[in-house]
Amino acid sequence: MNNLIRISVITIKDQMRQKSFYLLLAMAVVFILLIRGCYQGNYSVNGRQVESVSVAWHVSLLVFHFIAASMLLMASMLSMGMFSRDRDDGAMVIFLSRSVDRWQYVLGRIAGIWIFTTTIMFILHLAIFLIVLANTGGMITGYLTASLLCSFNLLFAIVLTCFLSLFLPNVMAAIFTLGIIGISFLSDGAYQAMQSELIRQMISGENHASFWRILFPKVYMFQHYASTLITNNAFDCMSPTYVWGNIVFYSGALFAALLWCFYRSEI
Amino acid sequence: MDGVSYTVSKGEFFALLGPNGAGKTTLVRMLLGFSRCTAGSITIDGLLAGRSESRKKVGYLAELHRIPPYLSGAEYLMRHAAFCGLSDSRAKKEVGEILERVGMNGSEKKKASQYSKGMTQRMGLGAALLGNPELLVLDEPVSGLDPTGIRDVRVILEEFKKRGKTIVLNSHLLSEVEKLCDTVAIMNKGRIEIKDSLSHIVHANETLEDVFFRYLEDKNS
Repeated sequence: MNNLIRISVITIKDQMRQKSFYLLLAMAVVFILLIRGCYQGNYSVNGRQVESVSVAWHVSLLVFHFIAASMLLMASMLSMGMFSRDRDDGAMVIFLSRSVDRWQYVLGRIAGIWIFTTTIMFILHLAIFLIVLANTGGMITGYLTASLLCSFNLLFAIVLTCFLSLFLPNVMAAIFTLGIIGISFLSDGAYQAMQSELIRQMISGENHASFWRILFPKVYMFQHYASTLITNNAFDCMSPTYVWGNIVFYSGALFAALLWCFYRSEI
Repeated sequence: MDGVSYTVSKGEFFALLGPNGAGKTTLVRMLLGFSRCTAGSITIDGLLAGRSESRKKVGYLAELHRIPPYLSGAEYLMRHAAFCGLSDSRAKKEVGEILERVGMNGSEKKKASQYSKGMTQRMGLGAALLGNPELLVLDEPVSGLDPTGIRDVRVILEEFKKRGKTIVLNSHLLSEVEKLCDTVAIMNKGRIEIKDSLSHIVHANETLEDVFFRYLEDKNS
């Protein structure tokens, strides 16, 4: 087996040994059980019964965003101590004293966490998808594709946290990453809200996105773009190619910077 | 490091001695590419040290060796074996043999967090021996071992040497170095001050310890 694949597999196995994994698993199960209840109730607005399919669809969209955003937090938490933990407990020496190149080690570790978090996110989305199918008999088209698309955001969060953890204490690296993601959510979320007809009518004048906002990592926009696969609404905030390219570019550039710094560091 | 230049021949048992901070560990780490050379180069069997190709030929035991606490001894060795390029069946066979050789048979299923320092050190030595490396680089291999453990390590290293393999040993235990080594280098402040065969350095009616302390006294005076 190739070193890269082997390190990724080891990373996934190592993650599954952590106590935090079982805590996460328990939380996910509880979350799914609680959400399941939302699909089984009868809802009425102003005394009129609301169609259960409509409720299921809106809840599922909300849950889609909640899971995708929570996984960003989890991805940052899992990757924040990866290098320092490996350095402290001797795991890094196992790889790098053997015929493993540093880039294989870094890429293998990141790929492992990426696959791990993407799988968990996909399973959670799949559970929602199946609950809707079982309760309403309807399939939410694009739900699972949207979930897979959001994995690019996870990659960005993982690479950024790993990069920052080379210079900052682990917790600070995760907080910094979440800060950047938070700014992306706030700025692009506000921008998206301003594009709505209602707000446009309230605010007179043209509303242009400022330059820094265009260049800033498009985490929220990418997640919003993925959700348009579920809603089938047009994504008219920005070019989808730009949004996708922005996340891929930042992930690639950060990975290159991470490798550059890692190659210059002492083991 | 400052102007360090030396060659270790194939099959030679080479020991690095020196006071704390002399640069022995740094030099050993450079062999693995863990620390970078700002100038010059190190080659292992013609291959640039630190590259993955040259590390294929090296078995390494680090100073203050650690095993990830969530791994059992067997898992730790299997992980090493996998990166030595051994197939699963061959790895299992070799890990079994290694466990026997380092006296850890029966403890391989315990988690590393339950190991004593000596047990961790034995496992580390076992990992270094996996894959039948051409060169064994050992940084304080007997640190934390009891007298039986020290003797066991000596026996293992003697066996390894008999098979024509090369050993670079960094140790403070001068009596063991004297029993095992062919060539000794004494380092100080990043330089190799003395490098010669043991028989040339240690004269009749004296020990390596005498030579080492005489050297330090000369330096201090």
